[in-house]
Amino acid sequence: MNAPDRYERFVVPEGVSKVSYERDTKIINAASFTVEREDHTIGNILRMQLHRDDNVLFAGYKLPHPLKYKILLRIHTTSQSSPMQAYNQAIDDLDKELDHLKNEFETELARHTGKMMEY
Amino acid sequence: MEGTSYQRFPKIKIRVVKDDYMEFELRETDASIANALRRVMIAEVPTIAIDLVEIEVNSSVLNDEFIAHRLGLIPLISERAMAMRFSRDCDACDGDGQCEFCSVEFHLRAKCINDQTLEVASKDLISSDHTVIPVDYPDSATGEENKGIIIVKLRRGQELMLRAIARKGIGKDHAKWSPAATVTFMYEPEIYINEELMETLTLDQKKEFVDSCPTKVFAIDPLTDQVVVNDAEAYTYDEEVLKKAEAMGKPGLVEIHAKEDSFIFKVESTGAIKASQLVFNAIQVLKQKLDAVRLSADTVEADEQFGELGAHMRGG
Repeated sequence: MNAPDRYERFVVPEGVSKVSYERDTKIINAASFTVEREDHTIGNILRMQLHRDDNVLFAGYKLPHPLKYKILLRIHTTSQSSPMQAYNQAIDDLDKELDHLKNEFETELARHTGKMMEY
Repeated sequence: MEGTSYQRFPKIKIRVVKDDYMEFELRETDASIANALRRVMIAEVPTIAIDLVEIEVNSSVLNDEFIAHRLGLIPLISERAMAMRFSRDCDACDGDGQCEFCSVEFHLRAKCINDQTLEVASKDLISSDHTVIPVDYPDSATGEENKGIIIVKLRRGQELMLRAIARKGIGKDHAKWSPAATVTFMYEPEIYINEELMETLTLDQKKEFVDSCPTKVFAIDPLTDQVVVNDAEAYTYDEEVLKKAEAMGKPGLVEIHAKEDSFIFKVESTGAIKASQLVFNAIQVLKQKLDAVRLSADTVEADEQFGELGAHMRGG
């Protein structure tokens, strides 16, 4: 009766922006990002990538409620960087890593099928 | 600070590639990426499945919605799926999902006229697009012609006539759109046998030790009577061998670690998409998701302005 529709998990409704953020009023260089209609798939890889950044002091994500489909990602950085920069940097690095993975996969698949054809 | 990248450089090694099964090793990346790939393969790679059914005649033993449910679960060859649009995003047909860009139409007509039971199967579904057809599973075991997935069986006089529309969707919406049968990954185990301690065991004790493992990880080499690793990947991370070693009074007999950045994937597809294509599409979909989550340029600009103001207010 109260269950949300399945498409709510990934369809962002009109008027709601996909990513929004709030700076922390009490701590400098800290912000909370709210990503709508996403789950652990994106949350965990962003968090792990942010941990690799030397300028990031704190990075964590949570799903405030399993039936409300959004993630809250909190980032604290040193004064050398800002949460927004760290966030964008993490996404860029992940994008490049996936590009690299895609190319590796393609060459490996071609090499493997080429080897199979020899038999 | 711009310019420093914290990117990783993953490596892939393929072991087995078949039409619907693939096994490969993924190295030098994080568990979060491996898990994200697994989640995307199961729930977010798009496929095509029957979504709307109009039944004209149904005098079979199964009711209308039962048959509609079964039709939805039939896997359809979805090579076209990545290029198609979602019905809700289609501007050519005002979203009711009946145009050629976002949907494929099927129809089915069957009537049983003789005394033999008529099996209505997925092969009887006639598609409007010859590239989108129900998956054909070649049944090599029996050797005879495979009828396809049986939808319903009809007796003499019973008839079934319907029109169905198939649309693009993802597993997150309904499991009928999931292209993966099973996707698993495990950490690659590193097994080290302490040869000195092993020497102090008798052959019977060695046999007991080898047998204590539920899967055949270890074996006794018949020529040298030594315990060797038979199949490291059969290890399921139950610690039975470690417990047995302690029970025998020899802790540290073997040491088993899971390599934290080395994963072995086993991907089985339903046949809608080839297994190798499934992995490739998963990487693409994951990239698309990351792109959707970027901060837009104006939010970063607004932040910089606010940053100045904030610094002023804090006296910086």
